[in-house]
Amino acid sequence: MKNDEFYIGYVDEVGSKTKKSLKRFVIASLVILVIGALLFGFFQKPAVNSSFDFGNPTKVTGIYHESPYPMLRVSFSDNEFKDLVLLGVGKFGPNAYLKEIREKESNLNGKRLNIEGQLIYYNGKTLLEIDDSQKVSLGNNNSNIKLLPKSLGQLKIEGEIIDPKCYFGVMKPGFGKIHRSCAALCISGGVPPVLVSRDENGTEDYFLLTDLEGNPMHKDILPYIGQPSKVLGEVSEIGDWKVMRINVDQIEKLNKESLIY
Amino acid sequence: MGLDYKLVFWNKHKRIYDKWIAIAMVLYLAIFFVLSFVTNPEMIAETIIIRAFGSLAIVMLHIILAIGPLTRINSRFMPLLYNRRHLGVSMFLATLIHGVFATIQFHVLGNVNPIYSIFTSNMDYGSLTNFPFQVLGFLALLILFAMASTSHDFFLHNLSTKIWKRLHMMVYLAYALVIMHVFLGTFQQEMSLFTIGMLLIGFVTICTLHLMAAFKESKTDSFIAIQEDGWLEVCHPNEIEESRAKIFTVENERVAIFKNKGKLSAIHNVCKHQGGPLGEGKIVDGCITCPWHGYQYLAHNGQSPPPFTEKVKTYELKVMNDMVYINPEAFAEGSEVTPISC
Repeated sequence: MKNDEFYIGYVDEVGSKTKKSLKRFVIASLVILVIGALLFGFFQKPAVNSSFDFGNPTKVTGIYHESPYPMLRVSFSDNEFKDLVLLGVGKFGPNAYLKEIREKESNLNGKRLNIEGQLIYYNGKTLLEIDDSQKVSLGNNNSNIKLLPKSLGQLKIEGEIIDPKCYFGVMKPGFGKIHRSCAALCISGGVPPVLVSRDENGTEDYFLLTDLEGNPMHKDILPYIGQPSKVLGEVSEIGDWKVMRINVDQIEKLNKESLIY
Repeated sequence: MGLDYKLVFWNKHKRIYDKWIAIAMVLYLAIFFVLSFVTNPEMIAETIIIRAFGSLAIVMLHIILAIGPLTRINSRFMPLLYNRRHLGVSMFLATLIHGVFATIQFHVLGNVNPIYSIFTSNMDYGSLTNFPFQVLGFLALLILFAMASTSHDFFLHNLSTKIWKRLHMMVYLAYALVIMHVFLGTFQQEMSLFTIGMLLIGFVTICTLHLMAAFKESKTDSFIAIQEDGWLEVCHPNEIEESRAKIFTVENERVAIFKNKGKLSAIHNVCKHQGGPLGEGKIVDGCITCPWHGYQYLAHNGQSPPPFTEKVKTYELKVMNDMVYINPEAFAEGSEVTPISC
């Protein structure tokens, strides 16, 4: 008789040849799993050193301004300022968390605010996530400083449009095709769109995008997220951010692979 | 054998099987987590969880898909099939963790429903490289959920073997969706010849094993019996080993001819439980025993021994001029046919 071993699951005995085959299969499967874990674990692109102080809130005081996206100008020393882009929780802008304070003070521009939130920072840019409207309060002294934009003229910039919340630190990595859908949701939820331009040395420049009247834009820009494009617009500098007024119909999509998504 | 449905008890083999599933999964996750934290310290835990469980599920899916053809090529692998559903459910749980974390990470806390977001946050359905790969993963997860949630004899019995089997054959559709999900998703941003190569080798291995198994079975199906007065000449009696069977295809149906204590009986080859090949089974304690899960039938009437109720068709045999002949007209399921001496 050739091979009379017969396995029945509810019978304890297992033939020696069957046992040997099973042992080989288990060893082979474990080897495949270990190789898989090593390859899939090792060959991952390194995430950048961006930061999100999740669970570690910071209290900041600064001058509120909308350019046109809500920002807080925070002073570090006599002549050094940082303009923090304000954001909400999840894939939302900050407006829901500023509603209560706006009801108390109709025009917040130029007002001093105390905000407790979670900092997001990367490559010289800082953003602040607000997770509770109770953590936003009016400060004592308002500012008389006028935040005048400095015009840099009309520029045509090649780059890609991203959502700054994830790109600057909330998600690591906050790039790649996997992230594109999340970026679209963030921008449609009120996170300001940012054009990233990268030179040959990898140095990046960032532009907050608005419509031609300088109003926030969200839904209109969605089809262009992560698409290498040439974007034409009037650029001005407000604090440490550049703002670009654009007409989305004039965005020129380039036939290139995305470097970010 | 499915008479009623009780809490599943783990026998010795199931416990061993489950122990090795757990060891393998923990080993994979431990290596992946340690390697990711050491080589990529900036990466957040959520990303590592999504990638670890997603890649684990793919490797497990390949192992699961290899078991079927391996058992058809060599019956010594049959124990792997006995408890394969535990492996399948474990793989589904890994896939579920991947899917839930990815949905939370990329689609929750937005201004639209997360499921709606999976389908609409990327509308590049006309593009290959920009295709919304998340949709493919979501559909694969739905199929695997349907399979995992019906992975019990209660559903097998109530859905009927045919429907249940068709539902579970959808694993191949899920596999195709998963492969596309990976190639159009993570491989668009994490290009490595090693990981792409590993998946390609896996795909080729699965295809090759299935082709080998199909080739082996095609020999049975290509058998052409000689007709004589409506009877089909199939083999010499000595070609069938004692307590074993030979499978023949007559009138497009596979039939198993068993030899039990020197007497021959023929029954339909397909087990009523999950469609296992009865002809690859053995006569144990006087019953034809299915090689897949041990379901049993009496050779002379195709009925499971009481109190079980499964029945298969039976066939009439005769021996003439030292050759075995079969009447291709099957009797009704469970019909008594006297075994013939040879």
